Amino acid sequence: MIDMILASQIFNVDLLAASIRLSTPIAIAAIGATICERSGVVNIAMEGIMIVGAFFALWFSALTGSPWIGLFAGLVFGGLYSLIHAWATVTLHLDHTVSGAVLNILALGITRYMMVLAYGHPGTSDSIPVTLANYRFAVPLLSDIPILGPSLFNQTPIVYIMFLLVIFFTWFMKKTKVGLHIKASGEHPYALETIGVSVYKIRYLGVIISGLLGGVAGAYLSIENQSTFTEGMTNGRGFIAMAAMISGGWTPIGAFLAALFFGFAEAFQLRLQISGAVSIPGEFFTIIPYVATLAAVAGLVRKSKAPKADGKDFIIEKED
Amino acid sequence: MKRNLVRIIGIMLLLALAVTPIFAQGQQDEVSDAVTATMATDIGGLGDKSFNDSAYAGLVKANAELGVEINVVESKEFTDYVPNLSGLAEDGSDVVFAVGYLMDSAVKEVAANYPDHWFAGIDIGTYGEAPSNFIGVQYNEHEAGYLAGIVAGMMTKEYAGNSPKLNDENVVGVVLGMLVPAVEKFEVGFIQGVHYVNPTCEVLSIVVDSFTDSAKGKEAALSMIEKGADIVFQAAGGAGIGAIQACSESGVFAIGVDDDQNGVAPATVLTSATKGVAQSVYLIVESVVNGTAEGGDVVYGINEDAVGLASFSQHDSIVPQAVKDEVAKAIADIKAGKRVIETSRAAIGR
Repeated sequence: MIDMILASQIFNVDLLAASIRLSTPIAIAAIGATICERSGVVNIAMEGIMIVGAFFALWFSALTGSPWIGLFAGLVFGGLYSLIHAWATVTLHLDHTVSGAVLNILALGITRYMMVLAYGHPGTSDSIPVTLANYRFAVPLLSDIPILGPSLFNQTPIVYIMFLLVIFFTWFMKKTKVGLHIKASGEHPYALETIGVSVYKIRYLGVIISGLLGGVAGAYLSIENQSTFTEGMTNGRGFIAMAAMISGGWTPIGAFLAALFFGFAEAFQLRLQISGAVSIPGEFFTIIPYVATLAAVAGLVRKSKAPKADGKDFIIEKED
Repeated sequence: MKRNLVRIIGIMLLLALAVTPIFAQGQQDEVSDAVTATMATDIGGLGDKSFNDSAYAGLVKANAELGVEINVVESKEFTDYVPNLSGLAEDGSDVVFAVGYLMDSAVKEVAANYPDHWFAGIDIGTYGEAPSNFIGVQYNEHEAGYLAGIVAGMMTKEYAGNSPKLNDENVVGVVLGMLVPAVEKFEVGFIQGVHYVNPTCEVLSIVVDSFTDSAKGKEAALSMIEKGADIVFQAAGGAGIGAIQACSESGVFAIGVDDDQNGVAPATVLTSATKGVAQSVYLIVESVVNGTAEGGDVVYGINEDAVGLASFSQHDSIVPQAVKDEVAKAIADIKAGKRVIETSRAAIGR
């Protein structure tokens, strides 16, 4: 069977390009979730943040005719929406999981309400004439590298943004003061407070970063990959992002690689269905990405350790 | 103390926000003497520009022409089916439509609990055992798929020179949502149609396992286009919108499903395999109003002019008369019972 798969020439440049496309929203959301959890706030609301970002990115693109303004709107509304999570978990000391779950449900309601308000019906929006996919460009020189070049460096804008985010946040967490404060806030918040840094502020920052990135991940789906918004179009990618974050050991680069693996599993199974190499029912292939996710989480989770104070409430009793 | 108060207010505020949309969805009309016809959508929901919208259009027509009161609730999860259907019956609906095969067991369970109401399942058969107040509405999707297949099979080879969107590869594709009977019939009919006019044509098919994931539908279509497909038929609801998007970006043709989907991407959608869900919903409401409704199976096909092929819209000029004649001949043959079209993958050896 293996040799038949190899013979079917399934492993080619297109497969790699498809893996990148499918992993982009997962990777961006996973990096966001990673920063959030490093600051000590569990964020299962990525799914909800993404869908909110996806809607507003499309709506503003439609209103202004510019997908760049749409992208900015996705960023901003993702950030604003995540503020609710920050307020609920940090200021009000609510349970992080409860707040995240509520935000996921609320996001479905908000986007539906906004769909009816903006388009007069729920479901799928009208398509926008210009998407970010129209701004695909090849990076000179780099795109000439065999195999990797065409798939990595002849891409659409948000894919490049993803590469930059991986590099930026890896540097940010390792080399900057704020990055170290975020780490400390998730490991030893009391120690951080002792040296005079507000854990509240750092955790707010962590959550907002996840919101901004979640919004961009959503915008990728609605205004780069597609030209329409469909309710529920994130289809669990926010949760796959959590799996990528865990398998990636709570580091931006790890989250990116894990997301890439999940994207690859998806792209691979779609091609396997039409390769003619394996004659089993199509539905069987569709479970491959989920099995891959499970295996990755189960296999890698022992090695990867959550920040010590992840999900733990931080509260300092003060005299009223 | 003060902090606790803030915390409680916070929780209540969040809960209130979260629950509001749920209540907003469940708004019911006042109960009155008029016949009430209602529907519960599948997860795809209203606005899918396909199946659920089509059923709703049937209700709207019944509202306009028969004066019945209508209402619709949408299902967000599989677990919504039973409460939604029960709720509609409780609210005094005379006939409740369950739209979509995935509601098969739910609608039969609810029909048994509310024997004084009619329940109709779109794409759901009685399969031998169902309560007597259940009307199973099925379509011969394979007939519509077959006609689409004839068009695709001829255009991709013989007439590939007619449009720059077509190539010499002799490959077409079909993107499927979930492999439920209606979707399988579309696919199997399509394959037979293609092979009837073009036996050597390669037909690729992918199940994306979702009716809403447009990004995945797009990738499925792209992977076929990479293998040379120049016409992609989609039977995948919202995920299929992504497949059409892929065709549009790659400059190949798409064939729509259920409704005439030319409006989704006019330059890309060659035609659509249609299914008259709206008309059949209207006819059933009418039979309930007239008191002539009967439980059991009804099947709508080419014979009833309920399934077929949409127009070629602006692509009419590149589709030669020979293709249109072949389609017309197939319709005539099917009506005359001269051509038998298989309905399952097993029957055609896939």
